[in-house]
Amino acid sequence: MGKIVRVDMTARKVTVEEVPEKYRLLGGRALTSQVVHDEVPPTCHPLGPHNKLVIAPGLLSGTPAPSSGRLSVGGKSPLTGGIKEANAGGISSQKLANLGIRAVVVEGRPQDGGWYLLRLSPEGAELLPADDLAGKGTYEVTKICRERFGDKVGVITIGPAGEMMLSAAGVTNNDPEGNSSRYAGRGGLGAVMGSKRLKAIVVDSPSLFNAPLKEPERFKAAAKRFADILHQHPVTGQGLPAYGTNVLMNIINEAGTLPTRNFRFGRFDKAAEVSGEKLAEVAVARGGLATHACHPGCVMRCSNVYPLPDGRVCAPIEYETAWAFGPNLEIGDLDVIGELNYLCNDLGLDTIETGVTLGVLMEAGVIPFGDGEAAIRLLKEVYQGTPMGRIVGSGAAAAGRIFGVTRVPVVKGQGLPAYDPRACKGNGVTYATSPMGADHTAGYAVTANILKVGGYVDPLKPEGQVELSRNLQIATAFIDSTGLCLFVAFAVLDNPEGLPTILEMINAQYGTSLTVEDAMEMGKRVLKAEREFNLWAGFTRADDRLPEFFTYEPLPPHNTVFDVPGEELDRVFDF
Amino acid sequence: MRVEVRLFGGLEKFVKDVRFGEGFPVDLPEGGRVAELLDRLGIPPSQVFSVLINGRHASLADVLREGDRVALFPPLGGG
Ligand code: SF4
Repeated sequence: MGKIVRVDMTARKVTVEEVPEKYRLLGGRALTSQVVHDEVPPTCHPLGPHNKLVIAPGLLSGTPAPSSGRLSVGGKSPLTGGIKEANAGGISSQKLANLGIRAVVVEGRPQDGGWYLLRLSPEGAELLPADDLAGKGTYEVTKICRERFGDKVGVITIGPAGEMMLSAAGVTNNDPEGNSSRYAGRGGLGAVMGSKRLKAIVVDSPSLFNAPLKEPERFKAAAKRFADILHQHPVTGQGLPAYGTNVLMNIINEAGTLPTRNFRFGRFDKAAEVSGEKLAEVAVARGGLATHACHPGCVMRCSNVYPLPDGRVCAPIEYETAWAFGPNLEIGDLDVIGELNYLCNDLGLDTIETGVTLGVLMEAGVIPFGDGEAAIRLLKEVYQGTPMGRIVGSGAAAAGRIFGVTRVPVVKGQGLPAYDPRACKGNGVTYATSPMGADHTAGYAVTANILKVGGYVDPLKPEGQVELSRNLQIATAFIDSTGLCLFVAFAVLDNPEGLPTILEMINAQYGTSLTVEDAMEMGKRVLKAEREFNLWAGFTRADDRLPEFFTYEPLPPHNTVFDVPGEELDRVFDF
Repeated sequence: MRVEVRLFGGLEKFVKDVRFGEGFPVDLPEGGRVAELLDRLGIPPSQVFSVLINGRHASLADVLREGDRVALFPPLGGG
């Protein structure tokens, strides 16, 4: 039935429990959010002894289900002050599931000033001293752990930013080649892991696809059908594998909703220079890859391997990151973007939050827009922990406050990602209302607003956006709980067989008879638990709003403002 | 009538000496539609997933106007 590994950092003791009945059919985000809801006091200090870091593979992770190796990391966020689930690719989720581990719960805080490493293997769970890893970047930590424990292990780790407990610090893990670049980036969970003095979790499992199945034949048939569904859809079958996520750069730019110069304009004249097409060209010319899977068994393979001019490899450069360090800072050079991306990966920082923070610092005049060298210099200060470095690592809201900036693109303290809410209003609704703070994945309305997947809702009009965002947030909360990559949604939204086939896989694995309605109920329950946590943490309706400047500053070229009324935003969770 | 065209995601391969994202002019008869533009460029309609005219979604049947900025895309997604 699976187990929960509980790590008490105060006593430095590891215990293994059976999964209680009430959590039996929860995985991924449903499980991390429920455990945080049930066990973490909403008013606790996010870096104090009462917060918990919860790590969970999805319901389908560790099986042959295609693209099912996503990992959920949860806790109370030091960035937003609310509940957080951050989701990562990489190889650790499948390995955890194959060890029979449904969740790792890290709690307490050691008093001895030491650093620790948790090793999970078929022999069990043990906590080891890791003072020798302290202060090191994630690439080096991952390399050392792979040398020490075998080159197949998954290494979940934090960088210096997490050790310093900076609010933009993420939790990373590695891809099959050992790049520590697959981040549960958002919301500062790396700082929570740092507060527990846990430098790394090494996951050592000989198998990847052997999680127990109640009805293996039935499962196999459903998994095959699901792979076909992904192959048949033009986006998941052709679009994503060809150029990866950064192929979005040009269409978002053409649609006039590419946030440029800290959300001043909706188009960037050098967008093509930092787009997926350009990335593929350069990557291939330098011996990298335009297509790559972040974990074995992904059929959509949206990632890439981008060699930097000096031979170091940034794998991948995702659209969000290319935007955060590109158009957002008016930088039109992929090598600069790759360098900033690599530094964030090594420092253990969320690229979106860091990019938005640098945009705010440019807005404040600390460094000029477009100055890539200055951006790299500021970011490197994080290694030294200088006051400026700490500001760079503490998120856009803090930087805005310190420098008196009014144009600070955050919701609930978390930086907005790569779609301007004034010309992609469905995403604006998601940013405003998601319990996560401004998060594009929580209800990715770009689908119907821009990509014409799952219907069409005019991105420039307020009508229909609340319903669109609501339905997507519910479906996403469910998909995030399965371990499936959210990108399956492109196919699932257009193919009526999509969701039933996901349910067929879950039912064959767990011996259940869940329906699509049950799945949507699960999505709703996840959102309700998260909203309840936030309510008790002190959030009100006022926190479900976009920053004011989006409502009065028109965005060229369409010259629209965000005009979905507040009363309508308050109805997103009417279910 | 002259429109400005941009091709992306591999569609540029259908037109000689054009790079992705690089705007180039195309002359069409007054009242020409997107479908005629594709025909003129030799791009099979089956390869085109999204058409944006001046940043707004359009279809193959839409009529083009002087000075329109037209962008053509194959299937794509991400996030
Ligand atoms: S589609 Fe991309 S992010 Fe999703 S699982 Fe595959 S490689 Fe990873």
